[in-house]
Amino acid sequence: MTPLVREVLMMPPGCRSREAASFVAQLEDQSERLRADTRGLTAAGLEWQPSPGLNTIGMLLAHIAIVEVFWTQVGPLGLTSDDVRRADMHTALGIGIDDDGMPLAPGGAPPATLRGKDLAYFDDLLARARRYSMRDIAQLGDTDLDREITRTRRDGSIHQSNMRWILYHMVEHFAGHYGQINLLAHQFRLTGGQA
Amino acid sequence: MATTLQTLLEVPAGYRSETVARFLWQLDEQRQALVSATRGLTPAELCWQHTPGMNSIGMLLAHIAYAENHLAQVGLERKDSSDTKAAIGLSEEEEGLPLAPEAPPSPALDGRDLAWFDVLMQRAREYTRRVAMALTDADLGREVRRRRPDGTERVFNVGWVLYHMLEHEAGHRGQIALMRHLYQVSRAGAPQNQGR
Repeated sequence: MTPLVREVLMMPPGCRSREAASFVAQLEDQSERLRADTRGLTAAGLEWQPSPGLNTIGMLLAHIAIVEVFWTQVGPLGLTSDDVRRADMHTALGIGIDDDGMPLAPGGAPPATLRGKDLAYFDDLLARARRYSMRDIAQLGDTDLDREITRTRRDGSIHQSNMRWILYHMVEHFAGHYGQINLLAHQFRLTGGQA
Repeated sequence: MATTLQTLLEVPAGYRSETVARFLWQLDEQRQALVSATRGLTPAELCWQHTPGMNSIGMLLAHIAYAENHLAQVGLERKDSSDTKAAIGLSEEEEGLPLAPEAPPSPALDGRDLAWFDVLMQRAREYTRRVAMALTDADLGREVRRRRPDGTERVFNVGWVLYHMLEHEAGHRGQIALMRHLYQVSRAGAPQNQGR
């Protein structure tokens, strides 16, 4: 029998908006691929740095989870208070917004918060982030996607976006770091590590 | 006065489908970010390999253009096979992925400058845009069946192809950003801040 590879976006049930459901389907597809590509990564591989000051796979996995929760807070949830967002992040993930250690200082080591964590820990972090984001994205209606959102960034600049851009950004952000994780895993294997 | 950054995902004009138009907006934003992230790349950095057998930045840029055009032809236009050489001036062999273990970068890309890769990617995007403008909402669910050289049968739909173009470019853009840091480390021995 001919092996079959079927690649279509599977719209999740329970979303009010079909367009929002498409973004969730894209996130789910990314997660499935990331999960497949990270099986077998050891704690040593997860905290391996190609050079001091450069991110580890573990840092990137934590960063993906944190950013997914953060943009859900800013967009679908509409949380405007930094303090509320920080507390909510801890409740959702068990770590804070800065616990991915990014950006690392030049020559910096990975953050102590992630030291020795195994793949199951990061799997759980990512699963928690997805439960959090899906719950609120599912509530969005079509007209919500046009809603404009203005926030002040840490550097004082103003960022104006719309809900649709936030959902797109969650996907492309995930994809960009997923690409880096694949590259780091490949490099780690070349060093003789057991990725 | 505070600096304002505006990122509103909007519907570009000229498309038959708003959904398709929004995908093209996203692809164009990815490209803008990629162009910004690659300014200043020299031919030496473009063909640098971290380790023999690993892709160079130039190979990844060529791969982004090649893959986009191949997908546009077989995925969006439903051609039986693609002719990327005729469409954008680059064949699969010249792109060079996947490299064999220990292999050097694709010789077809040796010495090419950034402007050459920019043009390659522009040609691919112009082709995609032209094809995408004609797509309708009904086309998004249309399934395409292809048999791969390894004998497997691949089924995908047009909506997935547009998403795949996007995530494919985003993933390789992330790798290119990381490789620029690795190149700096290899040249100067000084670790660099990667940003978020």
